[in-house]
Amino acid sequence: MAERPAPRAGTLARLHTRLQPLADFWRVFRRNRAALLAVYALVAIVLGTPAVVFLLAVEPEAISTDVLARPSRSHPMGTDYLGRDILGRVLHGVNTSLLVGTGVALIGVSIGIGLGSVAGYYGGWVDHLVMRAADALLIVPTFFLILSIAFIFGGRLVFVVLLLGVTTWPQIARIVRAEVLALREEAFVLSARALGVGDAKVMFREILPNTLPPVIAMVALLASSGILTEASLSFLGVGDPNIVSLGQMLTSGLEYATSAWWVPACPGGAIFLLVLLLNLLGDGLNVALNPRLRTLA
Amino acid sequence: MSLHRYVAGRLAQSLFLILLVISLGFFVMRLAPGDPVLYLYGAQNVSAETLDAMRRQWGLDRPLWQQYTAYVGNLLQGNLGYSQLNQQPVARMLARIIPNTLLLMIPSLVLATTIGVLLGILAARRLNSWGDYLVGAVSMVGYSTPPFWLGIVFIVVFASGLRWLPTQGMSTLGSSAQGLARALDVATHMVLPLGVLVWWYLAAFARLTRASMLEESRKPYLMTARMKGLSEAHVIFRHAFRNASRPILTILGLHLGTMFAGTVMTEVVFAWPGMGRLTFNAIIQHDYPVVLGVFVVTGVAVVMANLLIDLLYVLLDPRIRYG
Repeated sequence: MAERPAPRAGTLARLHTRLQPLADFWRVFRRNRAALLAVYALVAIVLGTPAVVFLLAVEPEAISTDVLARPSRSHPMGTDYLGRDILGRVLHGVNTSLLVGTGVALIGVSIGIGLGSVAGYYGGWVDHLVMRAADALLIVPTFFLILSIAFIFGGRLVFVVLLLGVTTWPQIARIVRAEVLALREEAFVLSARALGVGDAKVMFREILPNTLPPVIAMVALLASSGILTEASLSFLGVGDPNIVSLGQMLTSGLEYATSAWWVPACPGGAIFLLVLLLNLLGDGLNVALNPRLRTLA
Repeated sequence: MSLHRYVAGRLAQSLFLILLVISLGFFVMRLAPGDPVLYLYGAQNVSAETLDAMRRQWGLDRPLWQQYTAYVGNLLQGNLGYSQLNQQPVARMLARIIPNTLLLMIPSLVLATTIGVLLGILAARRLNSWGDYLVGAVSMVGYSTPPFWLGIVFIVVFASGLRWLPTQGMSTLGSSAQGLARALDVATHMVLPLGVLVWWYLAAFARLTRASMLEESRKPYLMTARMKGLSEAHVIFRHAFRNASRPILTILGLHLGTMFAGTVMTEVVFAWPGMGRLTFNAIIQHDYPVVLGVFVVTGVAVVMANLLIDLLYVLLDPRIRYG
């Protein structure tokens, strides 16, 4: 969206113009009840889980003689084969997943914005190189690549997040590049350049802020796919052995699926819920931020 | 861009990507911390001389680029390495097990495409109706369901709760049934994993089809078709869907790697003797050549499938041929 001309009146009016897109966005977004619910639930989870885990000092490895106990008042999700409280472990696992989602999204978005804007702004061989690399990463099954690398070099959580982050930027880069290509010739960019504003400043002050809406919608989806992939990796046994992970809980609970269903079902349900909420949020953001979809909503 | 240039470009890109997959496989193996020979034989208490002999046999005493060309040469001959733990060439292990994976993957893809595409068309036709919302909700939930979790839910509900279907393996243990009886046995074992995969793939197809059909629905050629008096079914399937199918197939191609991964996960849950079980066991046993073999094979398969999709479109879409 091109910047609206700021009215001459004082700062209040200027603030109003600045906030107008945000208000427009919110008006459309809040009509999507599922996405709104997802926002409330995610805020509760993001603030609540670390608070519970750290304030109550939940000990995920504490074993007891109460082995494979059904869900009850003292163990709302039951206990596993070592008598560990599953709820406590799930909370720790959710914490891990939230970290993974945040990390992957941050790395993916940073690389994507960086490479996408450079490709779109400079064009030529830089553009060609970046886009061919993006194509390659989109086609080559990165899941099995990350699986092999994490398997051989050890699946420390930081390492896995890094691997996931550096392989999920292509979609972001494509979106940003397309936006930059379109914006590059807009009047407000041309006039900034005519005034002698340098490349970097044009990029950061004029172009990039306008590419953000479609990127923001992608962030939630990047986080959800990061969480799902990390869970899959640790499910297959290449996760970080020193960290409680929902995927690992699932694998170790697999053999109890028929005898003590709560052991694998609870961590699995937690992954499902996190991924679902993030996808709902992403969908809602996409509709509210994408002007073409907005008219259909 | 002429047709020849387009095809040549896609061929060159695919060749490059295959080379990239192979090179990644090689470098991951070579950059692994420690000595590959020790990975393979370290646990087996062998003498230093034997280890040296092994290094020579694997070409590890030669310069890196010679090792690389030897590796590529081996791959071109279908040699994916040797699994010491299983005392078998990796290629043979994969060749024996890939049909089992395809037995799950192909029927579920066919079912999911058909149902998903129909649901997507339906949703796009009746935009913002309850049917549209239902399809949207189903595909949102399906898309967000990790296959391994749905598998566990199925096992808990259908197999141990209702005791309707077998949950583990591909056939009844110890059964010596032949012919039709065996086919039936395998089919009952297939139901649950197939259900998981169809549910999961279907969601992606329904979403894609809906978005793609919506995109087409705003184009003027549809109005022309309707004004000519063509039947609605003709307009939707012969006109709109034909054009909408290209982005669907293209994105499907990009999803293939994820679909492989989902199949692997599902196989692990249901102890299905396919690539998933093989990968899972190889990870537990630290069988490096097998894990890398799976990456190289899936990588090459996905690149080839994407190439095929694009070439298919040269035949189907006159805009590419004459564009």
